[in-house]
Amino acid sequence: MEQINVVLGVIGSDCHAVGNKILERYFSAEGFSVTNLGVMVSQDEFIDAAIETGAEAILVSSLYGHAEIDCEGFRDRCLERGLDHVVLYLGGNLVVGKTDQTAVEQKFLDMGFDRVFSGSHNELTDQAQLLRDDIMASRNGKRHRAG
Amino acid sequence: MNTGLDTQKFTEERKTVLQSWPTGSEVDLEEAFAFHQSLPKKKVCSIRLQEALDQQVVLLQPRAGVALVDEHIRLLSFLQEESDLLPTTIDAYTRQNKYADAQKGIERSEQAQRSLLNGFPAVNHGVHGCRSIIEALDKPVEIRHGTPDARLLTEIALAGGFTSYEGGGISYNIPYAKNVPLEKSIRDWQYVDHLVGIYEAHGCSINREPFGPLSGTLVPPCVSHTVAIIEGLLALEQGVKSLTLGYGQAGNLVQDIAAMRVLKKLADGYFRQMGYTDYQLSTVFHQWMGGFPESEAQAFAVISWGGVVASLSGATKVIVKTPHEALGIPTKEANRDGLLATRQSIQMVADLSPLDTLRISEEEELITSEVTCLMRSVIELGAGDLAAGAVRAFEAGVIDVPFAPAVCNAGKVLPVRDNDGAVRLFDTGSMPLSSDILAYHRDKIAHRAKQEKREASFQMVIDDIYAISKGRLVGRPT
Repeated sequence: MEQINVVLGVIGSDCHAVGNKILERYFSAEGFSVTNLGVMVSQDEFIDAAIETGAEAILVSSLYGHAEIDCEGFRDRCLERGLDHVVLYLGGNLVVGKTDQTAVEQKFLDMGFDRVFSGSHNELTDQAQLLRDDIMASRNGKRHRAG
Repeated sequence: MNTGLDTQKFTEERKTVLQSWPTGSEVDLEEAFAFHQSLPKKKVCSIRLQEALDQQVVLLQPRAGVALVDEHIRLLSFLQEESDLLPTTIDAYTRQNKYADAQKGIERSEQAQRSLLNGFPAVNHGVHGCRSIIEALDKPVEIRHGTPDARLLTEIALAGGFTSYEGGGISYNIPYAKNVPLEKSIRDWQYVDHLVGIYEAHGCSINREPFGPLSGTLVPPCVSHTVAIIEGLLALEQGVKSLTLGYGQAGNLVQDIAAMRVLKKLADGYFRQMGYTDYQLSTVFHQWMGGFPESEAQAFAVISWGGVVASLSGATKVIVKTPHEALGIPTKEANRDGLLATRQSIQMVADLSPLDTLRISEEEELITSEVTCLMRSVIELGAGDLAAGAVRAFEAGVIDVPFAPAVCNAGKVLPVRDNDGAVRLFDTGSMPLSSDILAYHRDKIAHRAKQEKREASFQMVIDDIYAISKGRLVGRPT
């Protein structure tokens, strides 16, 4: 299978490490070449790594509730830095407090993320295929844009 | 070096620390001592802990913290009735010394009329903001956080009147930081403990609580106990007098009771062996720190079980989870409900005389032997300096915390449950455990693998990490 490079990390001042280690193993086992930046990654560190490795997707985690502040302007920053086609995924516990997950997901989709996994999605089943499909669509100039 | 900080150097360092954010200028030690001395007994944490130790009851403490002072006071006032000790959980920006980001969070929270921060930014609110919390409440309040360099936060929090303070140079680095050298965090926490020692010397009691659960993910008791004992010793050297050592619930009743019982015994043993006699020692049990079920009913079952074990294991206090744990930060109602469920479960077993079974005493012996192996190695590596020993022990993987983000942690150790659900070592990394202990772990895991008709593997570890959130303790194959 063709090698696809992706960048993985936990954004902001967040140090939740467990899910990050599991995601690294999952996407590696599914054949992706994963650059795992670990915890506490800034937007620019994600983008630097994506440029350096030629990554076609950036997989962002946020578990501590500050995603609204940390993710603001991420898509624009990608565009500014020349990442026109990069697929952006976001997952985790995205906001402070128990709120309507659909509304939360929409908020981040509006920010420019291609897919948003809010709340506890602890089953890793078809996410690898989904990512592969989204990357293929993006190569063909189509952004997924759910919701 | 594990030695009391030099007064002159400490004084110089303080000036720099207090100048690192404008609110640092609000700290006046003499005035702070007077404030602490004026506090009624009911607001002093170590006094409340002593009552609990004497009466052999478990104190309940939630986690809570929001961006704005008034909102935070409202939250704690709401939780006060069901709590014995109150918290002030610090936001993640402050934990990383990003006070400008915290300021942005405060402003945006004011605009949005809801908290955009996951805790209380105490440095930004300053001594006066902290005082208004202490003044508004009737119970002791502790700072709970995860700050590798907590020097300024400690200055402000202690001057602000908090009488209890969580953290340590290892336990607030390994699970909470990525690139902070262990030498630096240990040194910065010696500053914290030294400052606490100065308050103690002026008759102001400040309880100190090393963070027991570490990564909160299948941490073997011997690993967290060794860290707790080292941090206790480092704190005592700087003049700390009231210590609460912690342990995170692993899930197997026998192992958890054994772990809590030996924690105090082992700590007392090492403290006395190293010449410390003048201290108060209590314990804290953390309800399950790993992933929770999304269903609130299932979450209540996990919480209640934690209450039962806290009581049966003789903990002095218990840190309470909420039914919203799977989704992040809880509403105040969910937080209170966690306390209510915990209180009920504790009171269902509080009158039971201590459980004595052979299996608990065997597990106590095992943990004692493991900690003895690890501590012996740390002491040898330090060659007379426990702080250096701790740094070298992490470098060598002698202490190795599973699933921790810090690069100074080896990260080779992998835990997995045995067939009874107790946490065992699947990959022992470089931890210097005796051959009979290693064989015991190997046999226990082999037994489970045989029962499940599969090899022990990383998949089994992942299954265990998610098992409780999916409704059971052990991650059996489906």
